[in-house]
Amino acid sequence: MNGSLKSNYGIWEKLTKIDRRLIYLFLFLVVLIPLIYPFRLAPRAMTPVLKLFNHIDTIPKDKCLVISVDYTPDTEPELHPMTIALLRHAFSRKIKVGILCISLLGLGLAQDAISIVTNEFNSKALTRNDSVIYGRDYVFWGWQTPVLVPILGMGENISKVFPVDYYGNKTDTLEIMKTIKNYNDVGILVSISGSAIPFYYITYAQTQFGVRIGVGSTAVQAADFYPYINSGQVTGMMSGMKGAAEYEQLVEERCKIYARRKATDAMAAQTAAHLWIMITIIIGNIGYFILRRRK
Amino acid sequence: MKVRLPLILVLITGILGALPFIIPHRIAQNFDNEFRNSVLRIIAAFSLVLGVGSIVRHHIYKIQRRKENWEYSWILLVSLVITSIIGLFGGIEGNGSLPTRIGDFYFDIQTIYMHAAIPLGATMFAMLSFFMASAAYRAFRARNFEATLLLLAAFIVMLGSVPLSTYVLPKLPDFAEWILTVPNTAAKRGMGFGIALGSLATSLKIILGIERGWLGGTK
Repeated sequence: MNGSLKSNYGIWEKLTKIDRRLIYLFLFLVVLIPLIYPFRLAPRAMTPVLKLFNHIDTIPKDKCLVISVDYTPDTEPELHPMTIALLRHAFSRKIKVGILCISLLGLGLAQDAISIVTNEFNSKALTRNDSVIYGRDYVFWGWQTPVLVPILGMGENISKVFPVDYYGNKTDTLEIMKTIKNYNDVGILVSISGSAIPFYYITYAQTQFGVRIGVGSTAVQAADFYPYINSGQVTGMMSGMKGAAEYEQLVEERCKIYARRKATDAMAAQTAAHLWIMITIIIGNIGYFILRRRK
Repeated sequence: MKVRLPLILVLITGILGALPFIIPHRIAQNFDNEFRNSVLRIIAAFSLVLGVGSIVRHHIYKIQRRKENWEYSWILLVSLVITSIIGLFGGIEGNGSLPTRIGDFYFDIQTIYMHAAIPLGATMFAMLSFFMASAAYRAFRARNFEATLLLLAAFIVMLGSVPLSTYVLPKLPDFAEWILTVPNTAAKRGMGFGIALGSLATSLKIILGIERGWLGGTK
């Protein structure tokens, strides 16, 4: 009798002490399998994403969208699809786009997103008007530091902050810069970042110049921006890979842009990983409760 | 003078940095623009030199003294030198004076960045998920009422963060959104006010020379 009680006790104790290598192995498998055999889970756009999409969708012709690519390679899987989705949206609606980086490591990623989306549009273009042309439809200003110099300086004169663009052209000579002088010509500025850079935009660009701010953040950081959404200082937000997938869904549904949706494809793996983590927590708690009751 | 000069500099720059937010006059604004566009950029350029110098010195010292993992310092130094030369003379996409291609093998900065920096960075970040899963399993126990509440909120937000919940429980993502919008905002605002007041007090102490920890312990 005593022995049987002890063996039962052992099972519950084991539940609270699963080898971490086993947890790692299962996590590896639940992420890997959906990536190899993906199943698509179409996300429903939540309010912050819808607000951002609708605002960009209704930017007046004389204003532009500015994307601040402020993320680094570590958060690329989560945040890069956001930049791509925003560019697809803007180019499909013929909205002029200005791109800059506050984080130095964002330069290569911004260049990659521009190459992907411009190639997509230009490969289907039949006339020059349909094409996405550098200097006419978009501009890549490049990188500027320290953080307050571009954020405050763009409120006065963007060309002064970026005298030359990423490719070495004088920004003043570009056609697009005749209509984009400062924040007054910006419909919305979307800062995509895994760090605190969007806070700088909210604190300085939004408060001092009144420019609309959108945010693209990692999932773990998203909670920090909700107070600013509620106060109206942030117009809309994409949070994490799900936010990016929701935006991709809207771009496909409303702009009829059919292209690879990396965030949506990764949703299956993320779903499986979340479920596995929840299962391990439940298992751990079952063991913990039964042991506590017996003690 | 060694102490007084930095204190005077901080006092002046601190006041000059704050005044343009309060004085909308053109002179104050122009001065602030010039200060930011010229002085701050020069300081940033100096900090880059200082940063590179500091990291090189630190790793040379590590190699000389054969400190723990000193072998990795070689990798850092060699990578730093090679990528700097390629970046300075080879151009971003191989359009500089230095050739950045041997046959079909490209090694311009954008290629190095896309095929080395991004996978390495993403790998480091991806490792976190394993530690998070293990830590969540070990530490997330419903030990008391507060812990249970936290656990429930985490479950709802986690489930709400994946599209599957829309199919299974259509209202769950909205509830997760409500948790983030209402209770989360309430807590964050309270914390925000506290942090802002604390930052203000600390900034004033630094500007006025009361807090001198940044001087590096010099009396």
